Amino acid sequence: MSSLVGFFSLVFAIGINFYLFLSRYIFKFQKQKFNLFIRLSSLLTLLSFFSLMYAYVVSDFSNYNVFQNSHSNKPLIYKISGTWGNHEGSMLLWLSILSIFSFFFSFTKNIDAGFQRLTLIIQSLLHILFGLFIIFTSNPFLVNSILINEGLGLNPILQDPGLAVHPPILYAGYVGYSIVFSIAIAGLFQNTDDEWLYVAKKWSMISWTFLTGGIALGSYWAYYELGWGGWWFWDPVENISLMPWIAGLALVHSLMMVRGEQAIKKWIVFLSILCFSLSVFGTFLVRSGILTSVHSFAADASRGIFILLIFFIVTGFGFLVFLLKEPNKSNPLNLLFINKVSALVINNILMIIATLTILLGTIYPIIIEVLYNKRISVGGPYFNATVIPIMIPGFLLMSIAPILSWQTNKINNSKKYVLAFIILSVLVLIQSYFLDFNTWGFVGLLLGFWIILASIIAIFSSYKIKINIKFFKIINPHVAHIGVGIAIVGITCSSVFQNELDFNLSEGDKFNINGKTVLFEKIETTNQTNFQSLRGKFLFDIEKNQSKEIEAGKNYYPVSKMITSEAGILHQWNKDIYFILGDQKDNEWFVKVLINPFVSFIWLGVIIMIYSGLIAVTRR
Amino acid sequence: MAWSDNNDLFWVNSSYKKMNRIIILTPLIILLIICFFSLTYLLSGKDPNKPPSALLNKNVPSFESTSLYDTKEIIRTTDIKNRKTLINFFASWCSPCKIEHPLFFEIGKKYPELYLLGFNHKDPTSDAKKYLEDDGNPYDFVGVDADGLIALEFGVFGLPETYLINEEGKIIFKFMGPITKDVLKNEIEPLL
Repeated sequence: MSSLVGFFSLVFAIGINFYLFLSRYIFKFQKQKFNLFIRLSSLLTLLSFFSLMYAYVVSDFSNYNVFQNSHSNKPLIYKISGTWGNHEGSMLLWLSILSIFSFFFSFTKNIDAGFQRLTLIIQSLLHILFGLFIIFTSNPFLVNSILINEGLGLNPILQDPGLAVHPPILYAGYVGYSIVFSIAIAGLFQNTDDEWLYVAKKWSMISWTFLTGGIALGSYWAYYELGWGGWWFWDPVENISLMPWIAGLALVHSLMMVRGEQAIKKWIVFLSILCFSLSVFGTFLVRSGILTSVHSFAADASRGIFILLIFFIVTGFGFLVFLLKEPNKSNPLNLLFINKVSALVINNILMIIATLTILLGTIYPIIIEVLYNKRISVGGPYFNATVIPIMIPGFLLMSIAPILSWQTNKINNSKKYVLAFIILSVLVLIQSYFLDFNTWGFVGLLLGFWIILASIIAIFSSYKIKINIKFFKIINPHVAHIGVGIAIVGITCSSVFQNELDFNLSEGDKFNINGKTVLFEKIETTNQTNFQSLRGKFLFDIEKNQSKEIEAGKNYYPVSKMITSEAGILHQWNKDIYFILGDQKDNEWFVKVLINPFVSFIWLGVIIMIYSGLIAVTRR
Repeated sequence: MAWSDNNDLFWVNSSYKKMNRIIILTPLIILLIICFFSLTYLLSGKDPNKPPSALLNKNVPSFESTSLYDTKEIIRTTDIKNRKTLINFFASWCSPCKIEHPLFFEIGKKYPELYLLGFNHKDPTSDAKKYLEDDGNPYDFVGVDADGLIALEFGVFGLPETYLINEEGKIIFKFMGPITKDVLKNEIEPLL
């Protein structure tokens, strides 16, 4: 029953969008009515999505998709997240988020009605394309022809609270760029005033904030679930989320420039199209299974071709309009040697180079295999060697950019900055000398701390400190940069100064980590609702009264016959102690302990970035 | 584009316009290239996990390598003559290698007479040792290929890559990317 409701509401929603699209040329509408139809189609799409979710929640195995991906024993939260834990459902989620963005955009005030309508019609077009894709190649509402009482289960690696919320948030970021894309295209067609730039700014900020959250959740998940002690692997699936993120960052910064200069409209349109193109391209790469990845997804060539076609249409259409309907000639940029505009332009160029570098590394295996019939994999060494050096001058520039003036060459208080930089360099050098010196460690720490310090100096020397909302809005760019600085410190420390200890232990053994005694208490196996768990229990710092308990182990999922590793992590503000339980050999267990210094700084930095993203959304 | 807006600074007007066109056309050209390659790839019916085999039935290239654990221990091409050998190129930085790693234990258990030779590709020795300690060492011999010269001889394009060599020293099977249970069952085992 719910499958039927879901399918037909989806078909109706697509039908309404067809109607709206035609309405531009055939039927004429009043604005009010048009918006009502947009909202109706959005609600129908959501109804379709929720009926699929309902089928998951009540374990309606007459639905083929539920039968394939769910099991009645699963906890409720994973039944819900199972809705988007598979290809079909995740595409429906994609479409639903597109609808939600259209829905909210239809309420935007203060913009030209014709412009709003044009934007929404482009959204309708996207809805039609992806809607047809779902109906023809990945319909989640297929019904089993025979009666079935039990499902096949969900990929156990996806049974995790972090991963339950990761896809919707990441998709909100990806799909959010659709509205930025539509706004930019509509702006090209209408080309009247620049009001749309302000609208685009808000929506691109929202998308970027969601994307940041989504990526961070994903890499946090990889950190504690994959059990490899790292949080970023330059995996193709990670790369394709990073590309729109960097391009989106460039977009947000270009939109900032609009306040000072009206000059870079063309560039903004280009970036808006690029961001959404990269999002669709990412969807294509993941959904076609064209690249091997640690993230397991089913491959299907017909789906791949369909999404490739959508990608071609959307991107081709976008850049073609861009080619034919160039924005009006705008004032030449005032690129003095060092002012805010030139700093932002340089940063934009660097970000685009970084994006293209990642793009090249990600699709290089495809090109090589087509040309030479050989298989290659491009991994961490390539990306670390190319992307990081490109980013470094950008980070340097970022530390001073916010205090540069829009028009002139002058930096206020330049002496203060030079002095601070010198003192900081010496301090970091001394610090690195006492730890083992490492070039990357030195560069990373210096950059990170310098960005933090320069931003703090800027806040204190440029503004009067007041505690009210307006003040926090004014200093927001600096706060965002402090977040980046903190994240850089965390990234540097956790990757360069990671420490690894290996032990072979029997139950009851005591061992030493950084001068603290740790007791390997016991091994425990328990039966949970849908898996068996094996846990090694450790007591950290047993000499103190308040010793901390850490559990590390594995889960075995009998339905899908898979084993997942569950790292035990003791979080401290300055380091994570990361326990991995290995295999048993003659009554001894192999235990690996990683000491990851300042990992918490990465998450703190990301949280600050998300916070300032939210603040920027509310700021005009 | 941003930097091309200031035409008066860099270009004379006419040549600027031509330049501007070309710059604006670039994304479309890139799009066409990407779509062309992706489409060719999809239409060729390639399975991303199933690689092409160009070196099949050729003699194994000559190599000489030292052991990861003892630099005095040396392995040469002549050492693997007269026995079936499975050569696997791996590295600690290669995440797909982790996926296939446990399968080599299965192979080793099932076919004790098969010689498992691992080549550690462009990896610091300490990282390689750590990797084999953590995930276990299924190989009979781990050769060091620090500068990637052996991989070059074999025509290795990316990691992981696996070769099966018969008693006559001919490559009878080659697989790029992580091997899977299916590959093991359907393609490697019939050759053993």
